[in-house]
Amino acid sequence: MADKLDVKQGTLALMILKTLEGLGPLHGYGIARRIEETSKNRLALNYGTLYPALLKLEQEGFIKAEWRQSENNRRAKFYALTAAGRKQLARETREWHETADLIAAFLAPKREVP
Amino acid sequence: MRFIRAALARIAGVFSKDTADDELREEMQAHLDMEIAENVRRGMSPTEARRRALLASGGLTAAADAVRDQRGLPWLDSTAADLRYAVRALRHSPAFTAVVVVTLALGIGANTAIFSVVRAVLLKPLPHRDGDRLVYLRQSMDGPGGADIDFSVPEIRDFRNGAPALGSIAEYSPWFGTLTGKDDAIRIDVGLVTGNFFEVMGLSPILGRVTRPSDDGPGVPPVMVLTHDFWMKRFGGDSAIVGKQVRLDGNSLTVIGVLQPAPWFPDRMDALANMVISPHHLSALMVQGRTHRMTAMIARLAPRASVAEARSEVASVYERMQRDHKDAYDPGSHYRVAVIPFKEALGERARLTLWILMAAAAFVMIISAANVANLTLMRGVRREHEMVVRAALGAGVGRLRRLLLVENLLLTLTGALAGLGIAVAGVRLLTALAERYSARANEIRLDAQVLAFTFVMAVALAMLLSFLASLPREGSFAERIAAGVRRLTGDTRKQRLQRGLVVAQVAVSVVLLAGAGLLTRTMVQLSQVNTGLKSEEVLTVQVPLLQMSGVAGTGSDPREVFKAVLQSDAAAKVRYDQMRREIVGLPGVLEVGVGSSTPLRASVTSFEVKAEGKSIKVGEATPRADFRTAAPEYFSAAGIPLIKGRGFAATDGIGAGKVVVINQTLADKFFPGEDPTGKRIAWTGEVLKFSPISPEWRTIVGVVGNTQDGGMDAPLRPVVFMPFVQELAMSGVIVIRTDGDAASVAPTVTKIIHRVAPAAPIENVMTVKQIKAQSLAPRRLNAALVSSFGILAVLIAAVGIAGVLAFSVSARTNEIGIRMSLGADSGRVQRMILGEGGVLLMLGLVVGVVGAFFATRFIRGLLFGVAPNDPTTFVGVAVLMAAVGIVACWLPAVRAARIDPAITMRSV
Repeated sequence: MADKLDVKQGTLALMILKTLEGLGPLHGYGIARRIEETSKNRLALNYGTLYPALLKLEQEGFIKAEWRQSENNRRAKFYALTAAGRKQLARETREWHETADLIAAFLAPKREVP
Repeated sequence: MRFIRAALARIAGVFSKDTADDELREEMQAHLDMEIAENVRRGMSPTEARRRALLASGGLTAAADAVRDQRGLPWLDSTAADLRYAVRALRHSPAFTAVVVVTLALGIGANTAIFSVVRAVLLKPLPHRDGDRLVYLRQSMDGPGGADIDFSVPEIRDFRNGAPALGSIAEYSPWFGTLTGKDDAIRIDVGLVTGNFFEVMGLSPILGRVTRPSDDGPGVPPVMVLTHDFWMKRFGGDSAIVGKQVRLDGNSLTVIGVLQPAPWFPDRMDALANMVISPHHLSALMVQGRTHRMTAMIARLAPRASVAEARSEVASVYERMQRDHKDAYDPGSHYRVAVIPFKEALGERARLTLWILMAAAAFVMIISAANVANLTLMRGVRREHEMVVRAALGAGVGRLRRLLLVENLLLTLTGALAGLGIAVAGVRLLTALAERYSARANEIRLDAQVLAFTFVMAVALAMLLSFLASLPREGSFAERIAAGVRRLTGDTRKQRLQRGLVVAQVAVSVVLLAGAGLLTRTMVQLSQVNTGLKSEEVLTVQVPLLQMSGVAGTGSDPREVFKAVLQSDAAAKVRYDQMRREIVGLPGVLEVGVGSSTPLRASVTSFEVKAEGKSIKVGEATPRADFRTAAPEYFSAAGIPLIKGRGFAATDGIGAGKVVVINQTLADKFFPGEDPTGKRIAWTGEVLKFSPISPEWRTIVGVVGNTQDGGMDAPLRPVVFMPFVQELAMSGVIVIRTDGDAASVAPTVTKIIHRVAPAAPIENVMTVKQIKAQSLAPRRLNAALVSSFGILAVLIAAVGIAGVLAFSVSARTNEIGIRMSLGADSGRVQRMILGEGGVLLMLGLVVGVVGAFFATRFIRGLLFGVAPNDPTTFVGVAVLMAAVGIVACWLPAVRAARIDPAITMRSV
């Protein structure tokens, strides 16, 4: 487990939103699996990280939850993106790109001053 | 929006806890099942699949906790749990809880009660509109009775013209009269006011109207505005009073309104009237006489003007006045004017006493808090093990801190609640004290702001206590548990803190005791002051019969008024004589005398006086003396000793030569080393023009002893007595010396007076003993309060010392056991513990005595006959504290000496 990364504060929400945008309504297990796969198993999500994050997004109105039958006929709570969530995703994606560009520019090898 | 929405969702979450918990459990169970199924699909054995899934979950309970924290208001949930826990924990240590709650209740109760008085009397805004703009002007001069001599009409006119910062000026002239009711009469204090008075003061009527400029001048109908207190007291709050007629002396006045409740200064007022009832106030004498000072002055500062500006303007106007009117301001008497914010003036007599009491209460609070802190620290050490276990089980330091805070809040708030009970009783007692010092005593309330003060005090204390306790550091739990920690002494830092607190308690107690000791010694000194009277079994009754103003049927012609006053005086004297003859016949009555004023009370009248052939040195204040009259029997009836010459005789009648008896103080002033009898003195000064007193020479026939007029600590005043029949009767006082309890004849005496003069008010029916006790009462209460604080402080400190030592003994049981088994006898162990306490006690005493040396300077103004650093008091206080401290050390020391080494060694 030591080689697995902790999820950085704030990034998990973005990952959840992106996952729900790509895959549509999904239960907690599905979201966790998807994030772990996407990270090539570098991230490990335990319940104590995942469920509070889901609840927080729900409280903020970015996702909504609904009990449904799962693929293998089990009652599970499915989460789906709301309109506000979609907007939030777009905003956070843009901010992330900007931040990433900025950091990349800083970390790029310095060119010699002519 | 997002935050509001999230917040609302959280609040909703508090109430849907149970359903949400069920759902969460189901959701996570589903997650787990899916993961197990997946693992099995990947080829694991069911057991292994389950183990791996559980491992990946990171703990279902912890996750559920994390979600719960996110869901509702986690602190609310856990606080409720903490509260339940705290109640349980405190119930398990009832002795600790009781000591802490009682200690806090006393500290908080005392502070709440005294703060409520301080707030009402000194801090609260005045009820007057923009009351902070009002300033009181005080003219004073050297000598007895010179502290506040009021202003004359020309002086006020000069200030009005020369000091624009004063804005508008309200004047009122304190006056009194007899209000005649249906079947009784009372003397009331009336302020004669100008029409703009209420406008300037910012006071409104609650009924009817107040005076206005059209009520000024001669020839207008006389009107009266009742103060709120008097309206309630005399008329029972009757709202139909407006428009009714009342009789004051010979005048009939229309009540036009009732004023809002407001404090009066410098004297209490029952009613306000326009000047028309006193022709004298409208006469040229009054309006033009610069030395005829009988009007008080309160100004409302001009917009944007500051008190400092007003002061400098008043100072320059006053300087010019003194230059232009040299005869009105004798340089030796140091005439001066002070501009004082009205609120300060109202609080000035109470200020020192109240702040001293507040400081004493704060000291008690500090000692209580130190004691509670110590008890909490000790309890915290006993609970160290519990805290470590809790921390190891997952409680964070913040969570533990909050648990402590909830527990301490429970303690301090319970203490505060009990303290409020004490405060309610205390406020009643303190109001009685404050009434003697301030007109604002009736504003004392335990209101919302005082309650807020109490609440803040309790919460602050709880926070302090919670952060005092040290909690196991994060990361140190495992080691501690591994080591099986069960130390009970706490770390050295904590012990030092506990000991420091004990030293502080002792020191503060010593300071308080020193203050209490000084005030008590002051009381003793004062009660031992010789009144100058030979007997205390003397009853005095004031029966004002003379009508000085508004005698019916007179106009504003001064001569006519004067003639009416003389007629009234003659009639009054006939009645006094009749009363005297009837009272002297009563059983038990030895002697009855009539005079103008009560012995031991300050005379309200004093004038400049001169002696024939004696000139005053340049720069010396013009001598003044109190004006008193006495019938021949007065001196012996009152017990005033005759030192030289003779008293008055029946021959000193109306037509006979003017003679006087002076007191020792005046004799020493004018005739040091000479026999004053046969010498002549006379009243003098501009102000005689405004009185019926003649400036002729009067022969001294006798000298009487000094009496403590105006209080046991008042400086002796020069007095001139004149024969009762030769001057106006003034207030009229009957003094009755009895062979037993003087108070017992009071009912019969009152009955006789009422029969002889049915319409006369009967006032101040008091024995000399009662007058003396009354003048000492505020100081007695003050000394008693500070003393009870001092005793309380010592007791709490003693509990503190005993507690810390007992704790130390119980923590060192093993060590002591080892010492004893190695040969230390019980006496040595006892000395060891005594020594431990003794060091703390000594340190506290030294710090306390040094502290008291500086602190007692502040109460210099409240002391009499004893210096602020009186060695006797200091030594006494130190001995008392040491004695109590040693007793407090003794108990734990004895307990230590009784330790049985065999038992303790076995339990190591």
